[in-house]
Amino acid sequence: MEEEKEAVMVTPGEVLGRTSDVKAGRGAYAALHNDTVYASLTGFRRTLPPAPDSSDQYIICNLQRPTIEVTGHKAHGPVPQPGSVVIARVTKVMARTASADIMCVGSKSVREKFSGIISIYDSYFDDRQQDVRATEIDKVEMHLCFHPGDIVRAHVLSLGDARAYFLSTAKNELGVVSAESIAVCASMLYILCLGATMVPVSWTEMQCPLTGQIEQRKVAKAAS
Amino acid sequence: PGDVVLDLSNMTNHTIKLGGGLRQDCDVISVMKAGTLRFSKPNKYWVENSQKRYVPHAEDSVLGIVVDSRSDNFLVDIKGPAIAFLPVLAFEGGTRRNIPKFEIGTLLYVRVVKANPGMNPELSCTDASGKAAEFGALKDGYMFECTTGLSRMLLSSPTCPVLDALGKKLSFEIAVGLNGRVWVNAASPPTTIIVANAIMNSETLSGAQQRIMVEKLLQKIQ
Repeated sequence: MEEEKEAVMVTPGEVLGRTSDVKAGRGAYAALHNDTVYASLTGFRRTLPPAPDSSDQYIICNLQRPTIEVTGHKAHGPVPQPGSVVIARVTKVMARTASADIMCVGSKSVREKFSGIISIYDSYFDDRQQDVRATEIDKVEMHLCFHPGDIVRAHVLSLGDARAYFLSTAKNELGVVSAESIAVCASMLYILCLGATMVPVSWTEMQCPLTGQIEQRKVAKAAS
Repeated sequence: PGDVVLDLSNMTNHTIKLGGGLRQDCDVISVMKAGTLRFSKPNKYWVENSQKRYVPHAEDSVLGIVVDSRSDNFLVDIKGPAIAFLPVLAFEGGTRRNIPKFEIGTLLYVRVVKANPGMNPELSCTDASGKAAEFGALKDGYMFECTTGLSRMLLSSPTCPVLDALGKKLSFEIAVGLNGRVWVNAASPPTTIIVANAIMNSETLSGAQQRIMVEKLLQKIQ
């Protein structure tokens, strides 16, 4: 079956088909109360051939449904999705949470401002180790994991609430990637530079190269 | 500020502990705040200064004013860069059922539990072992602001000369916060005013001068 390249522009809310005929792809959704597929973005409608191995409930009827997707007519920046790895800068550290501004999704930088929240439960431990979290949660202090201004690599847990995405750094390769120390150094021309990029020492400590002071952070394991 | 205090390149294998007001710049120790340099054996150096602004530190006793109340903590202003949180349960015998109701503007004598840079300080109305120990709301009386240096002088032991001299003739109660706030309460308003004025004038006076000032003040009333 040939893929027809249609230049049909659709707007959110337009009917794209019935769920018995088509499957909803990106930019479209299926409303189950009346079995219709509507568009959710403004853009061009494209029909993709059905995937050969997909487990589709209509397979019993020996029918494989094509997928309809709506692609934006202007290029949008990437949007954090649950399961993606993002790079964020910590803005505020509080007793049990830290707020961060998401700067990159994967390897692309975002075009709009996205906020994330790292909860204390998701900062330190792998979520599969339920016992560790329960017994040691009182000993975890947020300010020993992050400081305002740190760059962290985090994993998006969910879309979160209206204010922020929920992020997690509870894996070895997630955590603080780059941080500045609080040391002040005076250069030759008596110009004060604040902060030197710290070097990771272990998974809980980073050291300032100018003063040798060690500060505590939840450090990400560098990719080998 | 900017004065170089120690040159580390001459001293090797010495461990030096730096207190407040000093900073390590690569090889030298330089001063960040104007004040007196103090040294305590074996190896502690710090600068004592007096300023009107307060920087919260853990285990300080301060006087705070309630600004707002949330479901799980009170927001208290302690004259620092950020508003401090006083958990609703941080009282002796505090449970969800007997949460104290503080109105906005209540003066509290509290202890700073945690004060990390960049985070809001956390307070408590109990001492480290959980007892009440005079922390809590202060009723009546008069609160005035002063510098942090004066607060520390009033709290020094042996008793500060001005408090000693006032205490011999008048009876009053006083609470000193390290954040530059002092609360005085006495039976009659004139007594309160005399105590407050005496304290405010005593910052730059030596011990003997303080006693002379207090005597002159008391002579004027009697």
